[in-house]
Amino acid sequence: MFTLEPRPDITLWTSLRSSAIALAITACISLLVLLVMSDRPADAIWQMLTFPWQGRRIEVQFGLVFQQTAYLSVIAIGLAVGFKANVWNIGAEGQFALGSIAAYAGYLALGSPDGLWALPFILLAGVIGGCLWALIPAALRITCNTNELLTSLMMVYIGSHILTYLCIGPWKGDPKAGQAETYPMADSIRPEAFISGTELHSGLLILFAAFTLLAIILLFTLLGYRLRVAQHTPRAERFAGFSPDNTVWLSFLISGAMAGLAGAVYLTAETGKLIQAENYLENFGFAAIVIAFLGRLHPIGILLAAFMISYVNVGASYIQASLGVDDSVADLIEVTALFAFLSTAMLDQYRIKLTSSPAVKKQATS
Amino acid sequence: MSPDTLAFLLKLLTAAVLLATPLLLAALGELVVEKSGVLNLGVEGMMLIGALFGYIAAYNMQSITCLEELIPGFCQKEERIFTFADYLVALLAAAAAGAMLAAVFGFLTQGLRANHVAVGLGLSILGAGLSNSLGSNFLGVNYTSVQVADHPQILGQDLLVWLSLIAVPAIWYVLQRTRTGLVIRAVGENHDSAYALGYNVPKIRFYCILFGGAMAGLAGAFIVLVHVDWKEGVTVGKGWLALALILFGTWKPLRVLCGAYIFGLLWASELRFDNLFPDWQLEWKTLLTTAPYVFTILVLVIISRSPGTIRQSAPASLGKLFNPPS
Repeated sequence: MFTLEPRPDITLWTSLRSSAIALAITACISLLVLLVMSDRPADAIWQMLTFPWQGRRIEVQFGLVFQQTAYLSVIAIGLAVGFKANVWNIGAEGQFALGSIAAYAGYLALGSPDGLWALPFILLAGVIGGCLWALIPAALRITCNTNELLTSLMMVYIGSHILTYLCIGPWKGDPKAGQAETYPMADSIRPEAFISGTELHSGLLILFAAFTLLAIILLFTLLGYRLRVAQHTPRAERFAGFSPDNTVWLSFLISGAMAGLAGAVYLTAETGKLIQAENYLENFGFAAIVIAFLGRLHPIGILLAAFMISYVNVGASYIQASLGVDDSVADLIEVTALFAFLSTAMLDQYRIKLTSSPAVKKQATS
Repeated sequence: MSPDTLAFLLKLLTAAVLLATPLLLAALGELVVEKSGVLNLGVEGMMLIGALFGYIAAYNMQSITCLEELIPGFCQKEERIFTFADYLVALLAAAAAGAMLAAVFGFLTQGLRANHVAVGLGLSILGAGLSNSLGSNFLGVNYTSVQVADHPQILGQDLLVWLSLIAVPAIWYVLQRTRTGLVIRAVGENHDSAYALGYNVPKIRFYCILFGGAMAGLAGAFIVLVHVDWKEGVTVGKGWLALALILFGTWKPLRVLCGAYIFGLLWASELRFDNLFPDWQLEWKTLLTTAPYVFTILVLVIISRSPGTIRQSAPASLGKLFNPPS
């Protein structure tokens, strides 16, 4: 038996060490999962780890990984701002959808332009759309004291139904398409790929720029400091003259803006048109919550976590194609990683102390 | 009342029962969990996993006999037999799957003291992802062959409907009138005092979490065995609605029951709008499907406006980290 003893100091060293332990646990269980789920485990493990250097061109494979990394990390860092301050916005998926819708609305409002000058306005419209959608749960939390976690989630369902409604209703495009969708945007305003045949396009640069900007703000400015204070001691926050209400507004505003931007970039770069919700939304908004926790709510951690999970996802679909291993291994690895990281978080705060078991039992019963 | 309206009302009620029962089952399970001071946000994930495993079990338990086989290996007409015992096994599988996932939650939050909210959210998201990828074999190509035969009924309703209704007074009785219930409430109200009295707080909470998981699993099984066939995200957010229901019912089983049936009725009437307005367009019906979620938000706004009600009835230690003094 063991007992946990609170640790007075939390340093970079302890959190790096617990992350390393979590990573080791994840790796071990992932190996077990691959051993069970594949007929040729050695091949599966090898290909999963080295898939970019197998078969197709390396830049194509890395393009897929970076594409996912960009979307996941940008949404996750926005969410992490709120999570740090105990503001639970779990509706990024809805803000992503509304970002896309607003971007398309912006495109229509500009009169369906075909010059690259329109792109910034379209992206801006997406950011505003995501923000506005996120501000609804924030406003309800502040005025009516509603649980923002539940309301922001309900807004996801509402948002995705609005997306489907627009695709089969007012903005209905080609009726001969196999799915409900709008007319595609002009090709000329869509970000182009740097290397033909890959998913590396300038939209991803915009996302990474937004990520970097927010990371700098969080790490090096007064605003970032404020949010850190809110996380540790809400009382101190008030003494220092920061209002908790403003923290709620700000968290939702930032996470909504990031998710909206991701939605707008996704619309312009990936699909070029709105599609009914089940075919358009790829659960980036929910996966980003996992990424935020995997990265321990720290910008650098989030970037690494997003890269790791994207690598696993692309790798899993690669070995599904090449070896016929079901790509649910990616989900299983993600589950393992999340729980490993959440459970080792306590190693930051507690020291494990081994005790002889009879003594513990005696204590508990007496 | 004309027979037409009567028939319509009857249909409405039947639909309401179908929609309310999973909500009620999941909410009652979570009620016990929250009474013990734990906030498990993984209800949706446990419901989905329970639904998937219940469905797989039911599919494998039913016996299929081919009546007509014109082309060898291709059955034109078949008979599916799904007995009561098979049904019970499927329910058991669902409850076990839900409880397994809940055990992970319990181990992380009680054993390793991880953050309740983070682990619960993770459970929901990953339960959804996992059930999608594991259940993808039960979709698409051979969709028609994965149907489960009709479930057995008791007095015109499914077994689980009666079970959920009996569970309301049962849970009330256990929580309010028995020693076990007193211990659970004590742990939820003040874990430090309960610990000082010699109760093993993490262990008691762990059992409550297991119970909540089993109930969520049953709720998921009800959806796929009685209401609709398995598909991705088949619970459409019912697990989250169950969480909202507990706030609505201020942690009282009877009020949770009322809430579940109000939600069920509203949801059912929204689905029956087709019959009332046949000339409505598809796009408007799509917007109408958001009604349960809008309604949930409205309900949350109304009950949260008076800050006293929730704060007074919520278990005092709900969602707080328990550090035993050592």
